[in-house]
Amino acid sequence: MQQVTDDYLIFALACLVIALVMLRLLFRERITLQGSMSYMAFLAVLGLMAIFPYQTTILARRLGFTLMSNFLFCTAIAALALLHLRSLVTVSKIQLRSVTLTQELAILQEKLDRLERASASGEQRAS
Amino acid sequence: MRLLIVIPAYNEEQSLAALLTEIRSLREPDTEIETIVVDDGSADRTTEVARASGARVLRLCRNLGIGGAVQSGLRLARRENFDFAVQVDGDGQHPPGELRHLLERARQDPAPDLVIGSRFLTKPDPTTFRSTVTRRVGIWWLKVLLRLTRLKVTDPTSGFRLYGKRALRLFDANYPYDFPEPEALAVARAARLTIAEAPVKMRERQGGTSSIGPFAAAYYMLKVTLAVLLTYVRAPRRIPEGSDNATSD
Repeated sequence: MQQVTDDYLIFALACLVIALVMLRLLFRERITLQGSMSYMAFLAVLGLMAIFPYQTTILARRLGFTLMSNFLFCTAIAALALLHLRSLVTVSKIQLRSVTLTQELAILQEKLDRLERASASGEQRAS
Repeated sequence: MRLLIVIPAYNEEQSLAALLTEIRSLREPDTEIETIVVDDGSADRTTEVARASGARVLRLCRNLGIGGAVQSGLRLARRENFDFAVQVDGDGQHPPGELRHLLERARQDPAPDLVIGSRFLTKPDPTTFRSTVTRRVGIWWLKVLLRLTRLKVTDPTSGFRLYGKRALRLFDANYPYDFPEPEALAVARAARLTIAEAPVKMRERQGGTSSIGPFAAAYYMLKVTLAVLLTYVRAPRRIPEGSDNATSD
């Protein structure tokens, strides 16, 4: 049992390293806290699995997995699929907002150009 | 009556000047015509050519695709309280002289919300431009697909369209972005707009090259099929309420 825990601790350390990289990115404002919360939660779950392998094995057996590795793969794939879906929703929302913003900018710019031209021609007539 | 001609254009410097000259010579009784070129992030002199020809120009800072460009023009038409907007492609395929057929149909009683310029309402004239066989097969498939929404149109891919006030209100809020023509019809149908067709002649593009290659054509068919089916099953989009002259200037 001790051997198993030591093996999994490497995995827990890997999760910790990734979490530290994410924290660094957060401090540098390369990613937002709001956007990284779900990824942090995913890392925390994986880390807990590595720290408590015995309880994880019990959980895996209860869920019908005979091999622990299968359970880990399934959990990781499901979590990554959810994270990807969340990113897709965010990207789609941003894409639509970006289209609207581009259109509004063009409409405002056209209006501004017309006003400037009208103002310039008014000044010319006045002088 | 005020009419805005919306010309979506992406790298169309070759064909735009001639098209705008044709539009300038248009005369419609009791109709004040304005033209706006929507430069969809062109890398050539599209904006300069349009301005030199006296047209108003909406310059998009990045390429949004045909749907985004058309919606920009329709949005402006709605905000400035135009009675109608007509989409005329910047490649010169839609002869501005044919616009009168769309207007005639739009003025008939009961007035439709959307008029499609159709190449297939009259017998094909061998002297005028015809689509390739592949495109006609695609058009046939889209016609079948749109029949699912109980919409019977002969030319679902035609971009030569006239939009009335209700259509402007709908498409200001919801307009599909890539390959939008058939999907826009499904959206219009779902929102219970009245759709009519008018016979028009079209011609070959007057300059530049088409952006639709074989792979894009396959993607086009797949995407449009899914989009029309989705529009068919999801709740209809409502036409936004509100005054049409809220931001008129």
